[in-house]
Amino acid sequence: MSDRDEPEGIIEREIKMDVDVIEVDQEMDFENVSSEIADLEVDLMTEESSEDEMVGYRQQPGKLPFAKPGSGGKNRFSKPTNQEMIPESQGGKLTQPWGSHRHDGLVSGQIIGKPTALVDSHWKVTGQAQYGDDIRLPGELIGRIVRSPYHYARVLSINCSKALELPGVVAIATGADAANKFGVLPVTKDEHAMAVEKVRHVGDLVACVAAENELIAREAERLIEVEYEILEPIHDMRKGLDDSENPIHDRGKYHIGEANVQKRVFQEFGNIDEMASNSIASHKQNWLFAGVNHAATEPHAVVANWDPSGRLTLYTPQQVPHYVHRALADVLEVPMHQINVHRTFVGGGFGGKSDPFPHEMCAAILARKSGRPVRITFDREEVYWINRGRHPSRIEMNLHADEKGRICGIETDALIDGGGFASFGHVTTYYNGVLHTAPYEIGAFHYTGARVWTNKPASGAMRGHGAVNSRCAVETGLDDLAEQLEVDPITLRLANLLPPHSATITGFRVTSIGMRECLERVKKESDWDKKFRKMPLGKGIGIGCGFFISGSGLPIHWDPNKFPHATVHLKIDMDGGVTIHTGAADIGQGSDTVVAQAVAEVLGLPLDMIRVRSRESDTSPVDLGSYSSRVTFMNANAAISAAMQIRDELLDATVEITGAIRDKLVIGDRRIFAKNDPAVGISYLEALHKAQEDRGALVASGAYRTPPMGRTHKGAAAGLAPAYSFSAYVAEVTVDVETGQTKVDKVWAAHDCGKALNPLAVKGQIIGSCHMGLGQVISEEMKYGRGGHLMNPDLLDYKIPSVHEMPEVFPIIVESNDPEGPFGAKEAGEGPLLPILPAVCNAVYDAVGVRTAELPITPDRLLKLIERRCRKEGIKEPLELESPTLKYSPLQNVLAARASEHSQRDLDRRLDANRKPYHNGALFGLDPTIPPDEVDERWAVNVIPSKDYLTKPRLAGSAWRHMERRHRGDS
Amino acid sequence: MMRMPPFKLHTPKTLNDALNIARELSNEEIEFDWIAGGTDLLPNYKWHLNAKPHVISLSGISELSKLNSNHIGAMVSLHDLAKSKYTHPVLVKAADSIASTLIRRSGTVGGNICLDTRCYWFNQTEQWRESIDWCHKCDCGTEADCRVIPNQNTLCVATYQADLAPVLMCLGATIHLASVNGIRSMPLHNFFELDGMTRNVLQHGELVTHITLPEDVNEWKGDYQKLRQRESWDFPEAGVAALWRMGTKGPTQLRIATTGLESIPGLHLEEANNAISKWNGSNTIDTLADAIRKSVKPVQNTWYSPSYRKKMVKVLTKRACAGLIER
Repeated sequence: MSDRDEPEGIIEREIKMDVDVIEVDQEMDFENVSSEIADLEVDLMTEESSEDEMVGYRQQPGKLPFAKPGSGGKNRFSKPTNQEMIPESQGGKLTQPWGSHRHDGLVSGQIIGKPTALVDSHWKVTGQAQYGDDIRLPGELIGRIVRSPYHYARVLSINCSKALELPGVVAIATGADAANKFGVLPVTKDEHAMAVEKVRHVGDLVACVAAENELIAREAERLIEVEYEILEPIHDMRKGLDDSENPIHDRGKYHIGEANVQKRVFQEFGNIDEMASNSIASHKQNWLFAGVNHAATEPHAVVANWDPSGRLTLYTPQQVPHYVHRALADVLEVPMHQINVHRTFVGGGFGGKSDPFPHEMCAAILARKSGRPVRITFDREEVYWINRGRHPSRIEMNLHADEKGRICGIETDALIDGGGFASFGHVTTYYNGVLHTAPYEIGAFHYTGARVWTNKPASGAMRGHGAVNSRCAVETGLDDLAEQLEVDPITLRLANLLPPHSATITGFRVTSIGMRECLERVKKESDWDKKFRKMPLGKGIGIGCGFFISGSGLPIHWDPNKFPHATVHLKIDMDGGVTIHTGAADIGQGSDTVVAQAVAEVLGLPLDMIRVRSRESDTSPVDLGSYSSRVTFMNANAAISAAMQIRDELLDATVEITGAIRDKLVIGDRRIFAKNDPAVGISYLEALHKAQEDRGALVASGAYRTPPMGRTHKGAAAGLAPAYSFSAYVAEVTVDVETGQTKVDKVWAAHDCGKALNPLAVKGQIIGSCHMGLGQVISEEMKYGRGGHLMNPDLLDYKIPSVHEMPEVFPIIVESNDPEGPFGAKEAGEGPLLPILPAVCNAVYDAVGVRTAELPITPDRLLKLIERRCRKEGIKEPLELESPTLKYSPLQNVLAARASEHSQRDLDRRLDANRKPYHNGALFGLDPTIPPDEVDERWAVNVIPSKDYLTKPRLAGSAWRHMERRHRGDS
Repeated sequence: MMRMPPFKLHTPKTLNDALNIARELSNEEIEFDWIAGGTDLLPNYKWHLNAKPHVISLSGISELSKLNSNHIGAMVSLHDLAKSKYTHPVLVKAADSIASTLIRRSGTVGGNICLDTRCYWFNQTEQWRESIDWCHKCDCGTEADCRVIPNQNTLCVATYQADLAPVLMCLGATIHLASVNGIRSMPLHNFFELDGMTRNVLQHGELVTHITLPEDVNEWKGDYQKLRQRESWDFPEAGVAALWRMGTKGPTQLRIATTGLESIPGLHLEEANNAISKWNGSNTIDTLADAIRKSVKPVQNTWYSPSYRKKMVKVLTKRACAGLIER
């Protein structure tokens, strides 16, 4: 074995060098490092070239040998396992205060938990990423869309003859070319590619034209003559609740009265009857939230091409390629296998690219008619016409607290303005209620919600879907309750948290909860106790929390038992690189990176050995898409499951070569070895080639589906998720009391993402969420003018905060190690948006002593409130106002004691493998192990309003005044 | 995508050439626009707002870029103006607050002074304007009415939202114009004419060559205050410039001008003179601020409501005048 000594010496030197490299890396001195590595590699090559070929490797005549054992990847030698990255449960040094995780044994110390640049970032920063409008096919035509100039009208006729005569016009399509309906939710398909009977908002699609260039297409647009019969439009969402002569849609026998109510929800849980009588403090507020748009950097764009074989390829920056795939098949009447949906790079989605869109249908129809590729790119105004932004909402929020400082009731009434189409609205209507049943243990929950159609661009799903506005109302309400109870609002929250592994009042299964740590961290790092209610007029600090789903428990399109939520395919050939096929859409959130990380971690490979193919439906397995914060959780779980199969094969091969005991084998950096005797082992490539001997490339398919969860009442599935994320933010603001201008100075942002697979991406999501939420709370608003026109469909007048408005954000990652999440991870893409709104609102109160109930808090709105306070207190100048102060009541100590008790309770539950169930209600003295409604008759579960309620319904609740046509007997 | 209507671009190298091109086009009754930095004109073209078939660029005419304490060429970029050691500090403040760095690099002094007026019902795409049945500032041959104040087909109330004019007016600037018929000059406040469409006295084929400031300009102190939602990009929703000369017992001269409130900037001589004649420190400033508030008449066509903008004029005036009582 003497011939082995020398190479080992080289390995040692290389390792030493690697350590240096890591240190230099952290100083960001990339250039020098890479040149050093290059120099070193050259040295090694020359040194090695005199070596004999490795024993055990046959070389084919005339061919280069496979890379030597230990190689694969840019760095030719394995690094020793970093024990700091191996969990305690595996004998490593990574602390696990909340216990072990089912994926601990798969941790190879490669990449999980390391700040990692996104795998597609080089394409983006060098300008080589191809977004929707970058796709140029030979012979392309430019498509333009003719849009309605009326809010609501019947399309009587469309005359295209003049336009068709224009030289350069190749094809024109109208609603007559596509009669089939589509929509993102199978239950509410209400869209056509172009108007079939009616146009439902200004900007609604009427016809489309494909021409040789944009100028001709624009000219053709002007030549298309459309005859309309103008109908009476609805702009005020409250009017949508009334019966109408011409409801915006007709849902046949399922239509609710003759009204424009698209969806209504009624839910009552818990001790409804006594919540008001048990309370010693109550909060009531009527909120008005303006609609906001995602305003992604990239406007929508699409290219459609029917190839010579008769198949359609649609290039589109989509968050949810699979639903477009389905909708195209429906609308074009072409089987799904004849369509290839090619997701381009996505220049920001945020929910705004998650519906199948009519312009995507238009491009496909025009391409079919013209026989040539058709490209349609929106200008910014068209992005606002397609919208799907956050619903404008009117929310009535009532909160009650009892003498023990418990939240004995939440009553919410949410009327949401859906605009012209259903989109995701069915779900949004539920989410406005059910997503604020946690993280607090509550005595009663009463929710009435309704979504109405109005003659505006359709609202839909936007980052924090459905949860954002009502969360803002709850969290500002809690601040008010704390004020009334004379306690600290953070202590109030800490004393009312659900424990880990519990069920919410509506029966959601909550597993890991890092809420307490989030609150404690932001409290400490913001220096809360020194600032809250202690700062001068105009300076304020406020807290807000959040709770969000980490993946939707039920897939939209099928029974969860029929297909998995996510599927990942792996293929590894002799080069050692792993190809991942996934349908998960990377929309900039980094899903390609996460899935690559998951596979790299399990197989002990560097990231450069992983390549992700996630673009085309032809090659990738079905994924439900990038929405409801599901991708990391579900797709990485599927990837882990696929990688585990490959891992098993590699371990088997290792056993075969080394004779080691299989249970003792672990995977390190491109090396599989015995844990008890690391000298016994082989390289990744050796194992791979052994495993390939009889069958060639290794392939594996992994899938994820959610476990059965939740209760059985109507709507019980809405809001169900395999895990939930939690967050707490503290915002510090300066308010100019004379102008009403609010400047957010600092935000301490703690988010429980379970486990930060890529801390860099998590921080990016937190900061990005802060910016987006900040826009909604400070300045962003889809402003409808007199007559219902959208006044600001452009980025000058739609006020996204600039860099000057952006506060300093201190992201704080909290890891609660979710038992079901991949390596413990939960979502980090949407939940972090929720707390910024209430945190800023509460900080504004702390600064000037007024509570806003309308967003955004533009200076004119805030000044009105300040002036009102001045008048009420008989003060002439706002500068003479006093800043709010707080003296604690005896309840403060009671709450602090309970919080500290619960802190221990939570830890015990986390670490106790045999823990008993905990149902919401235990805080109110009920048996935690049984759902309260089964033991206490006061504990209600109602999903249909009583006659009594209908005598005096709240605003959205009044949607229940109507009877569905099928129950009226006159359908 | 939004695409500009095609136009022919002329790039003269001297003022004379430019004026001659203008004359030739006028003789043939061809419409044209001057283009300086293009940061106002081109977005409007992209929106198909009063686009012309010919555009004469002034960017190659070096004689329009002269800059010193008393002379500011029309083609001096806003960035150069803000960074120049010759520029009056209040003018620096105003110039530095315009839009964003990128726009200040292109945008010019002349362009800023001649900025087209703005209105929610006007600065929109063609498709959008069709949905309101057009607006009379760009009626596309439809003889449309004003959408802000309907039933009056004469006056356009679009808002003048440029920052330099109020400061320059307070500094006593003179504006110099040129055309093939010769040159003429006038005090800057006489340059503007109250109509959102015509905006100023420029005749067809006439352009702004430069601004001159009086010799005593550096003896004037003051401030410029601006209201807007964001500290970048946004046009002023209201702007107040105040400049004064100090004597031993208080100000001896005071000028106040406003922008972002009406179709032209306003120089409030009467209110300022009243304040000087009855000077009594902060009380006078309060009275003055109230008087300025009362003298402006914003309409509902920008981001903030007219009532708020009006209220803010008072606050901005007080803040702009704060230096009068600080010693």
